[in-house]
Amino acid sequence: MTAAPAGRRLTDLWTCWWVFPPFYTLFGIIFVPLTRVMPPPSPAKITAQVVGFFHAHALTIQIGFGILMVAIGFGSVVNGLVAYQIRRMTAGSVFCYAYLATLAVGAIPGCLFCAFSFLAATFRPDRDPHLIALCYDMGLLTFVGSLGCFATQYLIFAIAIFCDRNKVFPAWLAYVSVWQVVTELVAAPVFIFKGGPFAWNGAISFWEGTALFGVYIACLIMASRKAVERQQRGEVTAG
Amino acid sequence: MTARPAACSPPAGGSARTAMALPGDAGMWVFVLGDMAIFGVYFIIFMVYRGHEQGVFLASQRHLSLASGAVNTLLLLASSRFVALSVAAAAAGNDRRARRLIHWGALCGAAFLLVKAHEWYSLVGAGLTVQRNNFFMFYYAFTGVHLFHVLAGLLVLGVMRAELRRPGGRRAWLLEAAAIYWHMVDLLWIILFALLYLMR
Repeated sequence: MTAAPAGRRLTDLWTCWWVFPPFYTLFGIIFVPLTRVMPPPSPAKITAQVVGFFHAHALTIQIGFGILMVAIGFGSVVNGLVAYQIRRMTAGSVFCYAYLATLAVGAIPGCLFCAFSFLAATFRPDRDPHLIALCYDMGLLTFVGSLGCFATQYLIFAIAIFCDRNKVFPAWLAYVSVWQVVTELVAAPVFIFKGGPFAWNGAISFWEGTALFGVYIACLIMASRKAVERQQRGEVTAG
Repeated sequence: MTARPAACSPPAGGSARTAMALPGDAGMWVFVLGDMAIFGVYFIIFMVYRGHEQGVFLASQRHLSLASGAVNTLLLLASSRFVALSVAAAAAGNDRRARRLIHWGALCGAAFLLVKAHEWYSLVGAGLTVQRNNFFMFYYAFTGVHLFHVLAGLLVLGVMRAELRRPGGRRAWLLEAAAIYWHMVDLLWIILFALLYLMR
């Protein structure tokens, strides 16, 4: 890895960076108004209510997750940009590989499993209602409760920044990343509660964690932009 | 996020400090204030639930061991004191004393874990698990998240100890930042102790 010569355009990195904001905007549109996964519907719904939920939102769920299947790959582009910056740190490439691996594994329960569960539920609306309820539980439990890979990813990112002498990312981003570990950990009780602050739609398990995730993504987008800008000016020397 | 990267970079070598400089580094203050804000939201949510179910919360609170809570409070207070003295000893150039004080601080932290483990073990043995009611749901969740902070804090104390043996000379800002984190762990416990054990 060598430092970018000053004045280089870095079109490749800027192209990847510009995927960042539209990808997360699209992600928000898919998960909030279209598929209704966020904010999550109540875990206390009885089977008839779950069937009613899928009946009411079948079309938007299919459109939303259909778009997701096309767009999901762009998530790898933005993660790739961050992983590339981690490789430029003095922390060592192992952090880069670990970061990518945790996200690659985490994307399955944290995003895809939920999408396929909801798509399966809407695919045959005349299916046994209990099977539809099973899809509902599996989709939302994996979406909110898949915390291990992401907690590890945030920790890896934070440690890489702490160990980095090149100052590719500012130290405060590491601390913001550690908050995410805390919010992931408090999502662990979603497997127990069907109501209250620790349920999958709870104030602590979902709302607080999601608000902080929004802050984290905004910080990551800003910091990635600054990192590429500094690289363009030839300020950062690679390790 | 208002902190600018330039302001967050700790001073190189930690020597060129101005009289107005914060102890530690700005990034650690961002973390501490943010973490306390996260806990602040937890506490507000706890108070809302407590307001709805005051009878259940008060009855459940009686099952907690006030002695365990008090011992843990004293352990963390003592630990914080040891760590503060260690930073002062390091600043005075007495690294051996600084290291010894870190060991005492870590010992108190480890004792906290043992007391907490014993408390959980006794409660679970008495059938007072996380599913018992909303009070115990909060109790286990909050003390669990705090316990995670204590475990991370013991690692931080390990970093402090390693820093005091650093051949190139220790960095004062790093020792201070680590101590700030440990004090936050202490402060959070004091609030938890008041909320869960003492509030009537």
